[in-house]
Amino acid sequence: MNFNRREFLRRSIHTALGGAGLYTALGNLQLVSAAARNNIGNGAPGDYKALVCVFLFGGNDSCNTIVPYSAPHYGIYQATRPAVALSQASIAARSLMPQAITPGLPGGPPSDGASYGLHTAMPELRSLFNSQRAAIVGNVGTLLGPITQAQYQNGTHAAPPQLFSHDDQANYWQTSRPEDSNANGWGGRIADLLYATNSNQQLPMTISISGQNLFQRGANINQYVMGASGVPPIEFLEIYQNELGVDAYNALMAQGTQAHMFERGYASAMRRSVATYEMVNTALNAATPLTTTFSNGTLGQQLRMVAQMINVRAALGMQRQVFYVGLGGFDTHNDQLATHANILTDLSQSLQAFYNATVEMGLSESVTTFTASDFGRTLSTNSDGTDHGWGGHHFVVGGAVRGGRFFGAMNSLAQTNNPNDAGYGQIIPTTGVDQYAATLASWFGVDAGGIADIFPSLPMYNTANLGFMA
Amino acid sequence: MHKLVSISWQRLLLCSLLWITPSLHAQVLFGDGFENNVAGPFNDIDAARFLDQATFGPRPQDIARLRQLGYTAWLEEQFNAAISLETPHLDWIRTRPSGQNGVYRQARLEAWLTHAAQLADPSSPLLTHNDQLRQRVAFALSELMVVSDSNAALLFQQWGLANYNDLLAQNAFGNYRTLLEAVTKHPAMGTFLNMLGNRKPNATLNIRPDENYAREVLQLFSIGLNQLNLDGTEVLVGGQPVPTYNQNVVRGFAHVFTGWNWPGCSVADYDDCAPGNPYDPEWVQPMQAVEGLHDTTTNKQLLNYAGVALPVGLLVSGGNAQQEMTAALDNVFFHPNVGPFVAHHLIQRLVTSNPTPAYVQRVATVFNNNGSGVRGDLKAVVKAVLMDAEARFGQQSTPATFGKMREPLFKLVQVWRLTTPRSVNGRINLIAAPHEQYGQSPLSAPSVFNFFKPDYAQPGEIRNAGLVSPEFQIATDTLLVSGPNDYGWRIFYFYVGSPYSYAQDPDQMLMDYAELRGLAANPAQLVERINLALLAGRMSEFMKQVLVTRLNALPMTDAGLLRVQHALYLTLISPEYSIQK
Repeated sequence: MNFNRREFLRRSIHTALGGAGLYTALGNLQLVSAAARNNIGNGAPGDYKALVCVFLFGGNDSCNTIVPYSAPHYGIYQATRPAVALSQASIAARSLMPQAITPGLPGGPPSDGASYGLHTAMPELRSLFNSQRAAIVGNVGTLLGPITQAQYQNGTHAAPPQLFSHDDQANYWQTSRPEDSNANGWGGRIADLLYATNSNQQLPMTISISGQNLFQRGANINQYVMGASGVPPIEFLEIYQNELGVDAYNALMAQGTQAHMFERGYASAMRRSVATYEMVNTALNAATPLTTTFSNGTLGQQLRMVAQMINVRAALGMQRQVFYVGLGGFDTHNDQLATHANILTDLSQSLQAFYNATVEMGLSESVTTFTASDFGRTLSTNSDGTDHGWGGHHFVVGGAVRGGRFFGAMNSLAQTNNPNDAGYGQIIPTTGVDQYAATLASWFGVDAGGIADIFPSLPMYNTANLGFMA
Repeated sequence: MHKLVSISWQRLLLCSLLWITPSLHAQVLFGDGFENNVAGPFNDIDAARFLDQATFGPRPQDIARLRQLGYTAWLEEQFNAAISLETPHLDWIRTRPSGQNGVYRQARLEAWLTHAAQLADPSSPLLTHNDQLRQRVAFALSELMVVSDSNAALLFQQWGLANYNDLLAQNAFGNYRTLLEAVTKHPAMGTFLNMLGNRKPNATLNIRPDENYAREVLQLFSIGLNQLNLDGTEVLVGGQPVPTYNQNVVRGFAHVFTGWNWPGCSVADYDDCAPGNPYDPEWVQPMQAVEGLHDTTTNKQLLNYAGVALPVGLLVSGGNAQQEMTAALDNVFFHPNVGPFVAHHLIQRLVTSNPTPAYVQRVATVFNNNGSGVRGDLKAVVKAVLMDAEARFGQQSTPATFGKMREPLFKLVQVWRLTTPRSVNGRINLIAAPHEQYGQSPLSAPSVFNFFKPDYAQPGEIRNAGLVSPEFQIATDTLLVSGPNDYGWRIFYFYVGSPYSYAQDPDQMLMDYAELRGLAANPAQLVERINLALLAGRMSEFMKQVLVTRLNALPMTDAGLLRVQHALYLTLISPEYSIQK
């Protein structure tokens, strides 16, 4: 485009326009000193870590994602949900080959002694698991603390409010604080604690490629929301010889020129948007492109942008980052077999491509990707779909993961006399989101005091760290 | 804080009856706060501000009409205006020649924009659409009882969606109970939230009734999660909110809503009968009961509340599908939450993000009884929302916080109302998808939770003040760039006489700047014209000066084109315009 924005921004854009305060879009950028300061993080030079949350919107049917093919487990599964059951042969063809138990450490073959395979749409994730780059954490869900079937059914122990409701359960997954509906997200709370780690204090530690989310909402740190293809500039500010137009724009947006609180909120959001995209785009445009290819699916394109952002971490002065991406369509009340296969394909291919990109950047042990979802789904079915459940299995992927292992417990799939059944085919979680999240946060560099702050319910569990991170 | 406001408000009101003349009181608080709200408007600015809340933006003829009629007669005229419908527009498109007869999301958007911006109707250019209040309220209802073609099962079902929008428009001034049942039975909703094809339990096959619609109709369309006082604040017991229902109640409603399917379906073809085409009549007809798949053996626990008609809220088994639906929707309708819940929603969508509890209570009271003993009269509710003292004078009592962020899609509609765009072939094609550019488009929300949530608070000053700002949820770093770029693109390239190649496409909407260019030689006049149309005459002297300074520096050699474009663009992206006050 025919313009030299930087040049006219360099001019003082303070003008005689009615006392507008001085405002420079680039005034507080710290990009310029692109050499990242290295005396931070865990004290190690060059230390970098990223957590990537892959949120599966709608509640993934993890009991049709990770399925037993051995007898008698397959028969039990098939009898419980004939309307949506996958074939035994298709699961066996995606068999998982877990590592043996390491003495003194958690993790190993599945707790129920069954042989499991993945959904036929997930060959890539299977190979990540079998090559010890991915682990499975069984039956994780929102909890106020450990709870048994009897305690739940008799009402002697409290369960999170509004179980089985999308919005609430997705929120509790993201805050890990079902007892406090005003809580910030645990990603945001991590950023509140660690943001000083990053040499660049303008670009938030938390970046979403999937819209505003509660997971990354913090008391101090606002998430930065990008699109899968990055952030385009405001074209009006780039028009050739539009210096006075830019002056007028800046005067309207300048701090101190709005009388109404919402006008100030809007103006500050606009200022931040412009200042930050300038910084991000400058860094992205200067980068050497990655050679790893991603699928064109929704998730593939989001994770491609995450990889590109990690690739410019030094230019952006980032030592710790928490990313959020998402994939929709998991609320499979109807026509589940077809729908689920499509989105699991995207999930599997994208997780592998993203892992490959971290290898390409030499960061495979510095980046950990994990799944989260509103809830698991019911073992019982609607017509040809499943309803809102509670606990569900999840994947953790990365070079620092103690991969090729199952952690936690796999739930029973029985229709009757099922010790995990909340009473209606919903599975009572045996591992809390607190435990799952705290394990990730510990690896990320949150110290014991920080863990206690972020996850106040954690002491209720026997195990604070599930041990799936090396 | 809210409580203090409401107390002082009531005390002042009492005082005013005894001591203070209406004119003096107007300066003290919300105006007279009483029956004199309905007088007026007495000037163009008050008229424009009212129209900002009740329509998609004031045009000069709208201001004149409102001033001629006064609020009350204007409302009556709007209540009685012919209803603009989308379904007939889709039918018309289907009769067009090949290449112009595709009915996708864009076709429905064409109808919606025709009605909202009062554009020349592509199917009948001389037809004028004058039901602004109804269309504005229908859009607000579409953000309450959400159906969306972001759901893959609805993406190509534009007749069903258009008809759902028509249902909202037709019931916008009707009774909420009627609306609730029509929404419940609509096939678009049935598809969206899976009530269509829902079946009774089958233990052998381990099939349970689907809980999706049961849960959302309670949580989002009617009563919400927690018990509310009449003023919309939560009932607290021991400092904690009190849930309105539990999982047993969701199951109860899920069992009630079994046995509903497309017209003509039977037990035998229950899972397989579906219309083959988007334009088939089944998409515009209510679902019908298939009694053989309705649960008749389960007692259903419904809502239990003080004064509930069903003993302890229990619906004893045995009723047929319609009988049980009637009982269940009555059970919802008479829950004390519905009044404050609906009142709060409509106030937030039309007037202000943070109404005082007293305002909510006044509107909820009208919901509960319209004055003639009728509950749920939406016409009376809409009138109460707009004619309340707080709606009319809240900008004076709390000038720093009253109002709401404009919904970004409405900015496009409003600038089109000012510039009456037209295309060469008479069609309206936005090309771009507004939900991608602006974060919203009619019936295209990302989920049943709408484009934004009613309690979203922008982090920072707003959240710290304990206020909410729902529309800020879509003011993301990305959408704050893409939205302005889309307005800018249209303003700078798509106008009558544009030489740009993109503008030569015969279905491109080209804005007509003739009137505004006639004012451009005098930038102050041009700014005032835009001020009245877009900011209800409330632009600050500071902003006027910024605009006039910019316009004066642009040459008039193009007969004012650049001046008009800069004035429109800078206004559209300005903080002052972006907040409706």
